[in-house]
Amino acid sequence: MTKKSEQEKGGISRRAFIGSSAAAGAATILPKGPAAAAQAAPSGGTPVSLPPTPQQMAREVGDARPPTTFRAAQRPGSDLIVQVLRDLEIEFVASNPGSSFEGLQESIINYGEIPNVMPEFISALHEESAVDMAHGYAKSEGKPICALIQGTIGLQHASMAIYQAYHGLAPMVILVGRDDKHFLQAHTADDVAGVVRSFTKWDAHPQTLEEALVAIQEAYRQAITPPCAPTVVILDTEVQKEEAGDLEIPPYRPPVIPTITAAQADEIASGLLAAKNPHIAVGRMRTPAGPKKAVELAELTGASVTTSATRMPMSFPQTHPLTGKGADSAHDYVLGLETSGAQASLNGPHLRTLDGRDLTGINFGGIRPPVRPSQNVPGENDLVADAEASLPLLVDAVKRRMNESKRETVSQRTVQHGKANRDARVVALRKALEKKREGWDASPISLARIYAELAPMIKDLDWCLPSPTIFSGRHHEELWDHDKPYSHFGGHPAAALGFGIGASTGAALAARDRNRIVINIQTDGDLNYTPGSLWTAAHHKLPMLTVMHNNRAWHMELMYVQYMTGVRGRGHDRAHIGTTLRDPFIDYAKMAEGYGMKSEGPIKDPNKLAAALARGIESVKNGEPYLIDVITQPR
Amino acid sequence: MTIMTKFFNRITMLVAGSVFIMGTVGAQVAFGPVTGDAKKGMQLYYDYGCYGCHGYNGIGRQNLANDVSGIMFNETVFLTYLRAREDQNPLFPTQSMPNYAAASLSDNDAKNIYAYIRTFRDEPPEVEDIPALKAILDAAENN
Repeated sequence: MTKKSEQEKGGISRRAFIGSSAAAGAATILPKGPAAAAQAAPSGGTPVSLPPTPQQMAREVGDARPPTTFRAAQRPGSDLIVQVLRDLEIEFVASNPGSSFEGLQESIINYGEIPNVMPEFISALHEESAVDMAHGYAKSEGKPICALIQGTIGLQHASMAIYQAYHGLAPMVILVGRDDKHFLQAHTADDVAGVVRSFTKWDAHPQTLEEALVAIQEAYRQAITPPCAPTVVILDTEVQKEEAGDLEIPPYRPPVIPTITAAQADEIASGLLAAKNPHIAVGRMRTPAGPKKAVELAELTGASVTTSATRMPMSFPQTHPLTGKGADSAHDYVLGLETSGAQASLNGPHLRTLDGRDLTGINFGGIRPPVRPSQNVPGENDLVADAEASLPLLVDAVKRRMNESKRETVSQRTVQHGKANRDARVVALRKALEKKREGWDASPISLARIYAELAPMIKDLDWCLPSPTIFSGRHHEELWDHDKPYSHFGGHPAAALGFGIGASTGAALAARDRNRIVINIQTDGDLNYTPGSLWTAAHHKLPMLTVMHNNRAWHMELMYVQYMTGVRGRGHDRAHIGTTLRDPFIDYAKMAEGYGMKSEGPIKDPNKLAAALARGIESVKNGEPYLIDVITQPR
Repeated sequence: MTIMTKFFNRITMLVAGSVFIMGTVGAQVAFGPVTGDAKKGMQLYYDYGCYGCHGYNGIGRQNLANDVSGIMFNETVFLTYLRAREDQNPLFPTQSMPNYAAASLSDNDAKNIYAYIRTFRDEPPEVEDIPALKAILDAAENN
């Protein structure tokens, strides 16, 4: 995982690479000609970048001709890279094209009997979008896709989304093209990954094709090993284009994920079965297999369950009979699965465990330990083991201890919990609906009405709500049934905007061939960071319904400034400056139309909302993304 | 004023406010007279950002329509409430109710806002009469 371990096993250490590069000097690494002279012998100690030559610029604008001598590899190295991705079942490579990975891009779209499938090249209009798509896909499926990024410039564009993915524990493999010929000096660097090293889990810069294949496999393995996170592999243009000859792809070794021991499993199983009122608290697991096994364990034991399904992916189904607030809460045994518990909690390694990695000399000061360590530090009864990987052991241990008497007890308990939870759910829902109907006929339209009108339309559909809903009232928590591992992704992991549209597009990639639809309740401020994802959704025919929560402001910040005017007793009526999107208002239906997406709005009349939503759902079910601009109440 | 002093003052305000509100909740509120201009108040309600938390129609994070908290009891209480958090400088950004100092919002303008807020009415249909909400409830009850 760390550079140290890589060095110990003789792998392709980034640090070792940098060291060797530095020792080798400019003769092997730096470009020839004027640019090399400028780097190798800077005057006054500061390297000077020369402007690109006319030939270089011609290539950048697409007016380049092939060189007079060229190599047409019979078996290009990038074909093998694509085969590695295919073997790893990477479905998509999201990318904004660049001038340092044309070799790999050509292989993706042309290699194999059925080219451009597994992986399929997904056109993103911004590198941040590409990474957010990978983030959304990862939250949806619990496994990585790739983002293919141009070195230095593209990676800087992508850095915000990578930062968010790191905080979101989202596994993804970021492939970065590096212009090793220094075609444009400003587009290359010796340590390309350095700019994102503080918030990626692992990176490598292989120097040969063989090393590159191994590095991609290792990047995948690191990304899916808890704590899951983005990883980076730098791919030189030469590595992508070189002749592979008879080079074989090495076998992939899946990760060994830490579990509890058999003895610990026996102890927990005994506790669950001996208890009169056992309880299981379920947080976020890694893949859809986690919630499935958690359901099996809960049903085997008849334990009541609390879920995090309305706030994060990969948790327990929200309306399962064993879940809810009606069941007797006087528990005498509690098991936590990726969440804290009383008697035993299984919590996999957290990002905090990565604190010991390379934090020296990296910008932003590196990733700091959490502000509130209690959230992430193992408790007295915590077992540092991955809950999902441990669940099969627990299920087996419970099965071994099961007998007719216990089965009868579990059956009775299950019926009791089911009835109590159902009754409590209806009571809570009645109470919630009394609040939801407030302002029902108001214009601008209430946020609760958007979620409520959608509820019966999607009830029998397989849906996913990727967009953060903290700003739109989280009404889905009470009105929609979160019964799938991908029902909802929770908030912005790093509390940074620009995430919703990209993550929704990534979730829609996952949904496209799975007969699933994506509902994106899209705040206006968020959309304006990377609206180009609308085009990606239209171009790739992604089943995504975007409903604008258009309050024409960065509303939280408006309230912050308002408060500050109050503290200072001046200019309340000027708090809108810099915090609102007015004069002119933005027409999101036209924006979507411009990107080629079906759309309608702005809708202000609440009585026209349901029909518009129905049209949107119908369009999305037919594989055509749709946007509805709704002028809403602020919150 | 030190941070601790500010913090103490803030807590005192909150406690006093809570006692006041608790004393009025549930009681039949007899509202005082309106002396401001609701039409002017409508523009001021927008300009001063009241809609941010209270919605364009008095329904939002903090409802003003059908309000029984006591804050809208009469103009004097309303003005007192607006001025109540003077110099409460938070350590972190906050979305709480701001202070509205007289230097920034005059008594007359505040009364105009008060007049506008008093026009708010929210009389939504019953749950049973809203198809979407009824469908949600039916689904849960029949589950």
